[in-house]
Amino acid sequence: MHNRSPLGLVIPVAGLLALSACGGTQAARAPQGGAPVKGGTLTFAVNTEPTCLDPHQSPQDVTGLFTRPALDSLVALDAKGTIHPWLATSWKVSGDQKSYTFTLRQGVKFSDGTPFDAAAVKANLDHIVAPATKSQLAASYIEPYTGSDVIDDHTVRVNFSRPYSPFLSALATAYFGMESPASLKQPQDALCKQVVGSGPFVIDAWTPKQGITFHRNRGYNWAPANAAHNGEAYADKLVIKVITENSVRLGALTSGQVDAIASVPPVNVRQVKADPGLAVDVRQAPGGNYNYYPNTASGVFTDRRVRQAFRDGIDFATIVKNLYFGAYQPASSPVSPSTTGYDKGTETQWRYDPAEAGRLLDEAGWTGRDSEGYRTKDGRRLTVRWPFYKAAARENRDTLTEQVQAEAKKIGVDVDVTNPPSIGDFVTAFTKGDYDLVDFSWQRADGDALRNLFSSASISTPTRFGQNAARYSDKEVDGWLSDALDTTDLGRRAELYAKVQHKVTDEAAVFPVYVFNYLLGESKRVHGIGWEPQAYPTFYDAWVVQG
Amino acid sequence: MTARRTVAGRIAARLGTSLLVLWGAVTVAFAALHLTPGDVADVLIGDSTVTPEVRAQIVREYGLDRPVPVQYLTYLGRVLHGDLGRSYQLHESVGEAIGSQIGPSIQLALTAFALAATVSVTVATLTAKRRRWVRGLFSGLELVGVSVPSFWAGILLLTLFSFTLGLFPVTGGLALPAVALAVPVIAVLTQVLREGLEIALDEPFVLTARSRGMGDLAVRVRHALRHALLPTVTLAGWLVGVLFGGAVIVEQVFSRPGIGRLTLAAVAGKDLPVVMGVVLVSAALYVVVNILLDVLYVVIDPRLRSAS
Repeated sequence: MHNRSPLGLVIPVAGLLALSACGGTQAARAPQGGAPVKGGTLTFAVNTEPTCLDPHQSPQDVTGLFTRPALDSLVALDAKGTIHPWLATSWKVSGDQKSYTFTLRQGVKFSDGTPFDAAAVKANLDHIVAPATKSQLAASYIEPYTGSDVIDDHTVRVNFSRPYSPFLSALATAYFGMESPASLKQPQDALCKQVVGSGPFVIDAWTPKQGITFHRNRGYNWAPANAAHNGEAYADKLVIKVITENSVRLGALTSGQVDAIASVPPVNVRQVKADPGLAVDVRQAPGGNYNYYPNTASGVFTDRRVRQAFRDGIDFATIVKNLYFGAYQPASSPVSPSTTGYDKGTETQWRYDPAEAGRLLDEAGWTGRDSEGYRTKDGRRLTVRWPFYKAAARENRDTLTEQVQAEAKKIGVDVDVTNPPSIGDFVTAFTKGDYDLVDFSWQRADGDALRNLFSSASISTPTRFGQNAARYSDKEVDGWLSDALDTTDLGRRAELYAKVQHKVTDEAAVFPVYVFNYLLGESKRVHGIGWEPQAYPTFYDAWVVQG
Repeated sequence: MTARRTVAGRIAARLGTSLLVLWGAVTVAFAALHLTPGDVADVLIGDSTVTPEVRAQIVREYGLDRPVPVQYLTYLGRVLHGDLGRSYQLHESVGEAIGSQIGPSIQLALTAFALAATVSVTVATLTAKRRRWVRGLFSGLELVGVSVPSFWAGILLLTLFSFTLGLFPVTGGLALPAVALAVPVIAVLTQVLREGLEIALDEPFVLTARSRGMGDLAVRVRHALRHALLPTVTLAGWLVGVLFGGAVIVEQVFSRPGIGRLTLAAVAGKDLPVVMGVVLVSAALYVVVNILLDVLYVVIDPRLRSAS
């Protein structure tokens, strides 16, 4: 998705309207289906395509998917949040936590022949933050970056203005994929059409509206340490086709014309599972779940009791189960269970309890009833204003909205869903805080996602965009989030993030709805498709049984 | 007055009105740009992000800091030079975006048209003034053809011929999308043609031809068909609309590249430069088709060549 320039918004709609972001690399999977077979073509069909192929510029998750085969990163992240060597063989964090010194792997070459070295790392990071790049995501992930020093050919030091613990997990994403410095010299628009990296596959051609094709990078010998194998990729060719129609994409899979597809429609999951030749691989996306955020700073939801009544008085879990046929799980925390630092305690911290909701609303003074059955206080109806930008709604979220609206009516709450005519109107309302409720999901593998969602520094103003849609401001929470930036100790960070989740759940500053799952349909001929921690498939370890 | 001058005059008049149509399209595009709420530069940029330098460049190129009439002339001048502007979402010029997508669309439209013309002429010629049940059967089929939404027809064709029988690939093929696009055209063309043929077959000249001992098929093809073709030619405007409008859906279902997909994405993403470009290019296309049709009228109907 894109954003509107007049406000100078950087991640704006990117984060908001679901784009998803961040994560790491291949989560290794034990080889299955016998010994890997080299050769053949692996064809994967996706439902959407990038508007720009350069991940330094684009915030789209599909850009990450399209370029990951061709771009390596300095480090790799596994599903447990551990960082592994990749193009960097080792790294050291300075005592003040403000600089990272990387020792780089030797003998790595980009597919255009340019050697990979310290200067290349500097060129990439500098390219990401350069204003001309207009990075819509990557730059925001290294916001305190001050520059890189080339110490020698294979040693580079990256400096920050303050301690910044999420750096390594950001560096592991495709958005920090290392591109050939020679290629980076091109104008930005040209980079949007073609990127050159050192990855296990080399891009042949990207044809908008059709897809992208790759061939195996001969001589590739620098896989991430957590991959299932090293050396060249198994498949000779990798083809990613764009098939936007759900039923057609599914038909392409069931008829064996493609080996795997993205986004099996939830309604068809059972059908695919029942097919003896097919399987569904489900991967939970990390980061912000699809949540509703009440405006805690103005309007009806400033009252904690009203927020809690809304969250506990609507049976979100049942609505989600029925609408998605069990393909997506009801959420309990603001972040998904696959996020580093997820707090399992949130699962028992609240539950559907309409009686308690009614009691809370009475207590908050919403005791009257008007002719339509909605609760009132001092003659004013309990109305929740919800700007819902329908054009960007995925996964039948508009239907979900209608069901929530109907459920809310049962507890006497009038949910007034307004449909802003354009994304610009939506962003304007959002940045001004002119709403009672907004909804979005936001994928990011690192627990630092919580800082985007609940830090008071992340509240939008008309001139600065932030994802703290609840406009939640709490000194204690700010303190924990800031402490988490100062430490790279995973255990300590998880502890801090658990405190944040507990408190915002206690205060009902978020209404968790569902955990997004990546639903990959695949033929049983295909083996070894891996996953990035932010839940999209990778193909380095994959092979196809021919015939 | 000679026949040649009449034809030339007709074409000259047609060219004149064509220019008016094109000018109208440019004006409508310009008006749309200015009537869209918000700053014109922001409207052009849409949901993308650009640097202040690029924004300044847009203001300069479109003359946005000058009075509206000057802006209008600037815009007209740019279009006359073939400059349709730049898409800030696609990171390329509108000309490039349309240029890279128009080929597959034209290929699809022409194939569908050729298919539709062949099938319609054959079916209409063979079924006009035939037994009741023959006509009834085909009229029924035509009614179904014109009522079936292209989207559904496309999915149906894919399910049968690609998913089940495996005869055609799900993407990249031309046959199935052309059939899906041709179905409504075949249905309407056949009805109109049959109607025309049936009127023609009642004409005295048909009786004359038959009395000379001419065979039934020859009468239909050599005499009646020409008469029947004239009314169908007037459907050309509708036809171009169906072929290009239908392409939006057919290209989507069959994952084909083309102007339809480009337009759909541009409208959904509020990429106004592309939308305006598509409006201008389709207007130009209409004009070209209409000029060709005028020539075609003359070929089909000899009376036009001698009329004064």
